[in-house]
Amino acid sequence: MRPRSMMAISVAAMAALCMAVLLPGSTTAVVEKRFITHSGAVISTTGEVLDPLYTASTVEFDPDEYLRNFEYGRVSQEDGQTIREYTIIARDDQVQEISPGVFYNVWTYNGTVPGPTIRATEGDIVRIQFINQGSKQHTMHFHGIHPAEMDGVFEIVGPGGGQFTYEFEAGPVGVHPYHCHVMPLEEHIVHGLYGVFIVDPAGGRPAADEMVMVLNGFDTDFDGENNFYAANTVPFYYQHHPIRIQQDELVRVYAVNMVEFDPINNFHLHGNLYYYYPTGTDTVPSHYTDMVTLSQTERGILEFSYSYPGQYVFHAHKVEFSEKGWVGTFLVDGPS
Amino acid sequence: MTPRVIAAGLVPLVLVAGLVAFITGPGGITAGIDPLPDITIERVDFVDSEVRVVVRNTGPVPVDIVQGDINDRIQPSAVEPDGHLERFETAVLRIPYAWNEAEPYAIGVTVHDGTRFERVVEAAAPAVPVDLEQAGLLALAGTYMGVIPVFIGLAWLPFIRRLNQKSISFFLALTAGLLLFIGVDSAEEALGVSAENLAGSMNGALLVLASAGCAFLALQYVSGRLASTGALGSGSAMGAALMVSVGIGLHNFGEGLALGAAISLGSAAFSVYLLAGFAMHNTTEGIAIASPLAGRNRVARRLVMLGVVAGFPAVLGAWAGGFAYSPISSVVFLAVGSGAAFQVAVTVARWVARGPGGMTSPHVCGGLAAGLLIMYVTSIVL
Repeated sequence: MRPRSMMAISVAAMAALCMAVLLPGSTTAVVEKRFITHSGAVISTTGEVLDPLYTASTVEFDPDEYLRNFEYGRVSQEDGQTIREYTIIARDDQVQEISPGVFYNVWTYNGTVPGPTIRATEGDIVRIQFINQGSKQHTMHFHGIHPAEMDGVFEIVGPGGGQFTYEFEAGPVGVHPYHCHVMPLEEHIVHGLYGVFIVDPAGGRPAADEMVMVLNGFDTDFDGENNFYAANTVPFYYQHHPIRIQQDELVRVYAVNMVEFDPINNFHLHGNLYYYYPTGTDTVPSHYTDMVTLSQTERGILEFSYSYPGQYVFHAHKVEFSEKGWVGTFLVDGPS
Repeated sequence: MTPRVIAAGLVPLVLVAGLVAFITGPGGITAGIDPLPDITIERVDFVDSEVRVVVRNTGPVPVDIVQGDINDRIQPSAVEPDGHLERFETAVLRIPYAWNEAEPYAIGVTVHDGTRFERVVEAAAPAVPVDLEQAGLLALAGTYMGVIPVFIGLAWLPFIRRLNQKSISFFLALTAGLLLFIGVDSAEEALGVSAENLAGSMNGALLVLASAGCAFLALQYVSGRLASTGALGSGSAMGAALMVSVGIGLHNFGEGLALGAAISLGSAAFSVYLLAGFAMHNTTEGIAIASPLAGRNRVARRLVMLGVVAGFPAVLGAWAGGFAYSPISSVVFLAVGSGAAFQVAVTVARWVARGPGGMTSPHVCGGLAAGLLIMYVTSIVL
């Protein structure tokens, strides 16, 4: 080999390496898609849009269905008392798309997170046939007043079909959470074993457009911090699917904070204030405000009506949570 | 080889393939074990109201990129060409965001199983444009850093030429010392870049070893061919000088990468530091090339070519590092530079060994030591 050709080869090889690094891969022509940023800019892309706001309709759990769904149970009468019977099945093997594209092993009561909203009137007998179809021990622990053996703490229900019947008189009036109480407790709660238990006063509350909002979060990478927050599980869902309400109609929100890891959560309403009934146990509101702060399992009833039509945001004013999904909108329809 | 021999050679391969298929296949002992996805955020560019993130699947299984965030706040974003990444495939995540210059940002990428990966950028700076002006700037920086210092170093040739045999041996040994230092320096840099930027599954340290080893062997083969064919015209002195130039050129490519990356990342202070440091360092490389030529006359034209072979790769490296920085190619190039430097050190040492006194004479040992010390001192002065 001549030195000159050797040099030429070295330089050529170096140039080739350089080109290999510099040249972009070939691309094929594809259809442009558009999406809108948080600040309203319209962006075009030839690739895929990654946006929980605009693709949330594809996820498995339907927050719209959950929002206004109340389970009154199989009703019968015994000695003049109303009996409400439920069958609740716990599982821990489901993998659910909790945000578009994000698959997470949820532990569920009756297949959803949150579990069904159990609703009874004060004094009714609530009878729950609980079946544990999971691979771990689970229970149901209700907040409220009941005998010790119905507390779902010491009466561990074994996996693979273990059963227990919870029976107690519904009370006190208000909105309460129920959740699994097997250790490690945090793990059982954050995977999704929780739901809402509403006890109506005898004679009921004034007519209203009623809805349930469980404020929850998911730590999908198990680092002790929530990756997602939401009202009713799916991040940003009600921002993309506004909750339609009527102008001047009373709206009643049963809000329950089930967020773990973060000490507080809160609920801020735009363009309005609400009457707040902590735990829903009193008929007199404690506050007329647009902001309440909720600690773990703290809950209450929010009552309001809108004077003007239009779209109004509601969200955590701990804005980290709202930027990770706990944000939604009410679309107030004016009189037609 | 007869078909029978080939078949005999293939039998163990088929058997081991069968074993691997059995272990990893359905019903094998690893069935039901889900390997965890892993990605590497290779590059973050801040452009007009947008953060562009190059993501590579560096895990054992395909992944889907499903979400982007800035400072742990979810942002509507897009992934091009698409979010599904096979092993080693890359995609660009575009996160529209009105970023502020000089502020730190944590860029998050979430994959399908909910795992969030993060890369922190210490201070956001606008990405450099890919245009002629920038190419010119990088070429200039590469020239200042690589080409000019090497030529300055070559200017020592008339001085070296007037030396006696012992002093020439000293300078040749010094060259070997310089090259040994360069080899270690490049390897250390390669290991550093791999530890900082490559996912564990890339086996960064072994990538360095393999790249450096291959470069060493390739140069070994080429220099062996040069020596055995005697095709060098002016004899093995030119051959040795050329090998030194090639080795140093490969090394300078790696330095160019570092410089180009620093310039494109906008760290002005760091690039000035790098530029001045490398320039001083690289002047000594000229001596390394010049030393083998001490006994030869009429080498001016070849000297220019040798200088180009050794210095110009710094410009190429600056372009590659400035326009298309990728940690994997950086690690490979740095490691190749290391292997090349080691091989050339060996070649020069062999050459020295044939001189008076062999490898154990005081001027040879002193030269080696001086080479190592000079490099160390010039590496810390700036």
